[in-house]
Amino acid sequence: MSAVWRASRAAVKRRRLQTVVIGLVVFCSTATVLLALGLLDAVSNPFDRAFEKQRGAHQVVLFDAAKVSAGQLAETAGRPGVAAAAGPFDQATARLEKSPPGVGSGAFRVVGRADPAGPVDRPELRDGRWATATGEIVLNEDGDLVRPELLGSKVQLVDGPELTVVGVYSSMSSSADAWVTPEQMAALHPTARQMLYRFDAAGSAEQLESGLASATAGLPAEARTAARSSASLEEAFSGTAKAYLPFMTVFGVLALLVSVLIVANVVSGAVVSGFRHIGVLKALGFTPNQVVGVYLTMVSLPAVIGAVLGTVLGAALAQPVLRVAFQGVMRGTAVVEVSPWVYLVCLLGLPALVAVAALLPALRAHRLSAAQAISAGSAPRSGRGLRVQRALGGTRLPRAVSLGLGQPFARPARTALTVAAILLGVTTVTLTTGLTSTMVQYADSGKRDGGASLDIRVGRAAFEQTEPKLTDRQMEALLRSLPGVERVSAQAISQVKLAGYQQSSAGFFLRGDQDPGDIRQIVEGRPATGAGELVASPTFLSQHGLAVGDRVTLELEGRRTTATVVGKSIDGDARFFFSTWATLLELEPSAGAAYYDVRLKPGADVQAYVDAVRAAEPGLYPGVVDDGNLAADTVVSFASVFTVLLTVVAALGVFNTVLLNTRERRRDLGMLKSIGMTPRQVTVMFVTSMAVLGLLAGLVGIPLGMVAHRVLVDNVGSVDFPAVMKDVWHLPELSLLALAGVVIAVLGAYVPARSAARLTIAKVLHTE
Amino acid sequence: MTTDHDSDRQVVVQLDGVHKEYGDLKALDGVSLEIRAGEAVAVMGPSGCGKSTLLNMVAGLDRPSAGTVRVNGHDLGGLNETGLALFRRRQVGMIFQFFNLLDDLPALDNVALAAQLTGTPAKQARHRALELFEELGIADRRNTYPAALSGGERQRVAVARALMNRPALLLADEPTGALDSRSGEQVMDLLIDLNQIGQTLLIVTHDPKLAHRCASRLVEFADGRVARESALERQL
Repeated sequence: MSAVWRASRAAVKRRRLQTVVIGLVVFCSTATVLLALGLLDAVSNPFDRAFEKQRGAHQVVLFDAAKVSAGQLAETAGRPGVAAAAGPFDQATARLEKSPPGVGSGAFRVVGRADPAGPVDRPELRDGRWATATGEIVLNEDGDLVRPELLGSKVQLVDGPELTVVGVYSSMSSSADAWVTPEQMAALHPTARQMLYRFDAAGSAEQLESGLASATAGLPAEARTAARSSASLEEAFSGTAKAYLPFMTVFGVLALLVSVLIVANVVSGAVVSGFRHIGVLKALGFTPNQVVGVYLTMVSLPAVIGAVLGTVLGAALAQPVLRVAFQGVMRGTAVVEVSPWVYLVCLLGLPALVAVAALLPALRAHRLSAAQAISAGSAPRSGRGLRVQRALGGTRLPRAVSLGLGQPFARPARTALTVAAILLGVTTVTLTTGLTSTMVQYADSGKRDGGASLDIRVGRAAFEQTEPKLTDRQMEALLRSLPGVERVSAQAISQVKLAGYQQSSAGFFLRGDQDPGDIRQIVEGRPATGAGELVASPTFLSQHGLAVGDRVTLELEGRRTTATVVGKSIDGDARFFFSTWATLLELEPSAGAAYYDVRLKPGADVQAYVDAVRAAEPGLYPGVVDDGNLAADTVVSFASVFTVLLTVVAALGVFNTVLLNTRERRRDLGMLKSIGMTPRQVTVMFVTSMAVLGLLAGLVGIPLGMVAHRVLVDNVGSVDFPAVMKDVWHLPELSLLALAGVVIAVLGAYVPARSAARLTIAKVLHTE
Repeated sequence: MTTDHDSDRQVVVQLDGVHKEYGDLKALDGVSLEIRAGEAVAVMGPSGCGKSTLLNMVAGLDRPSAGTVRVNGHDLGGLNETGLALFRRRQVGMIFQFFNLLDDLPALDNVALAAQLTGTPAKQARHRALELFEELGIADRRNTYPAALSGGERQRVAVARALMNRPALLLADEPTGALDSRSGEQVMDLLIDLNQIGQTLLIVTHDPKLAHRCASRLVEFADGRVARESALERQL
């Protein structure tokens, strides 16, 4: 056994507690870092991975078959900037007469393709096979679940043939709702041609636009009827996650910073406190390199164990956390998981960080002579620290307190790292409590007043459901008449075009009782109440260049009406707007409700109401609605997890600092106790030394956390928080937060302080 | 060993059948000893014979495995840690071989600290400390940090600290062990002066010269027991 290994092993054994602390800090830090990096990676990457695997289309472009020939389109494949192209494929937009449950209603994009291969957009097989004959159809399905019942089921097109489902594929390009053979397509009388392009440069929206312009240059004007870029697909993919991506990023960065600081503090402190030992090793004949080797081995051992265990814990936490984060997100074939590089960074990066943190002070010791190292290990501090101690000695404070207040000045570098760690801890706690408060209010704003909420859909034969016998108004009257009901509103959804915009939007038209919750959802203006009024989300308004007060023209099957934007909601989908029934009647006089939103009285029997509805009208399909807010729940959960992890890490950092101080000051402690310092005074002295840092960190960390909170909530693109949700700070909360740093510091300091108080004086003074 | 004259004086230290074991090692093996007010007792013996352990027991720095230790009427066995701290604060002063001064406080503050722990205001504590510095001839070194003091000066600062709260008993553990001969002489003179004004002393030492100059009684230790006690004539 080499001398270095023997000395390292002895040092690890002799400093068991410190070894455990280093291991624990690295363990918690690794888990935190893995979670943080894993989240950041998972939010941005799964779409790209799956998209590239399928050679997804950067642009899916639709042309009017009457205005451009297949030959002209085929030539666009060779245009500058086009890396690959597929098509032209004929496309028909069909309406479904009958389809299996869960297969889309309304407009249904059917594309004629001979096979799923090709240079662009290779849909991935999920079940069955590709269509090879007329009468066969292949569905494009998202989601995790494979539904074997789809194979063999029938799809009946309005005024068209009945087709048999022979396969289910998934296209990350979302190039169609279904595919048939080119021969079958001819029978569907296609009016459009589809081209799929991949470009040399597709890193930004501008590049996607210029690629499209280059590919379609020279084609007849107005031949292009629609185009969808991969950017909008990605937006749709991670739209839900993006609502809280800024929060995740900040949590991740904070977690990284706190972890790095604490690890650096703990490890460098361990080496600095070992200077005397280093001097002894040198005196024994260890070469400077051997000394550095001893110390690197000593800290690397617990660091490697901590990193491995931390990676295991982080991996175990990451999967359920990612599941929560991506709940309800359209995923296609994308697999949401932590990339291998994240594990690699954690397994190698944290021990490397520990090695670097140990190396710096070890190299300093490397340069010192044995005598210098020994004296540095027990050296009196000089300069400012002494002056501060002296000044404090003259104050009226109890001496144990003034001694404690002076301690941090003895080791300014260690103090600075400790303060930084607590400061970041306090900033995190402030930020997370603020976010939690904002998100709880945000979640509450989405909740409706009263008891349970029911979503009652009107049955449609196209979905193989029973059609109702009662009329729209009769159904509403029925729902109002049943026991337990408090409010009823009817809703219709129609694809409405806004004049001047290519894409149509989904208009939600409401009739009946307005829920007071709707008013809470309005961040600017007011809810829509009269004819020609609409309300939309911040993203809808920004994407359409609209603001509250603007007027737009709505078009539906040849009818037009004007509407004024009277309100902006807190959040919502960029494709939806909300208006009144009176507005819908202008566009579609015979419109009927697609579903009814029923709110029961608090305490009403939900099941009894549902049974009553089913018995009275079998054509109504009631379902209980969960008012929960996924984004809010996710942020609150993450905030809690990160707060706990970072508080533990910060407290461990403080614990370690006090431990080192205690070890370095054993002789002083023995002396102080020998002249009558009580155990309580010793505890007070050490706890004070950290509490003052906690207070300082609190005073700086709170404003920092408040600023971070404001910056974050102001930059969530999909949510526009009203002032009341952003002004979450009040005196009681701030007072409690001011104590947060002190609490973290005291939590970390108390145990080693108590242990210092119990030191056996005779032993200490004897060993010194 | 006490004289008739001595027996009139109050017993300051009383050890009765004191045992102390560290695992298998017997540091003290049934030690019984009395020290009366105004006495200067020197304890001598080879290394590891239990001298320092005895001192620790009397100072309340360690607890006996068996037996009783009473100092100035206080049964130390009946005191908890806080009680022992308060006892040390008021009843005993300690001088160590290696001084044990706080490196980050100037000399005067090191001494004043002992009084401040009792709740004495800083100004008053410093005033009292300065009086002691003047008595000990180190007033001009009051603002100097320990690292810049000579060994003799450090030990005088340590003596001043030990006397700060007017203890009933002054304990010295090899007080001249780390000093050169001249500084050692100065410290010995100081201890003699203190004893002559009535300060009770218990000195643990290897140095026969220190024992014979400062002590009125010699207790010799061997294997954790009192091997012999004898009265001493001070050699001035």
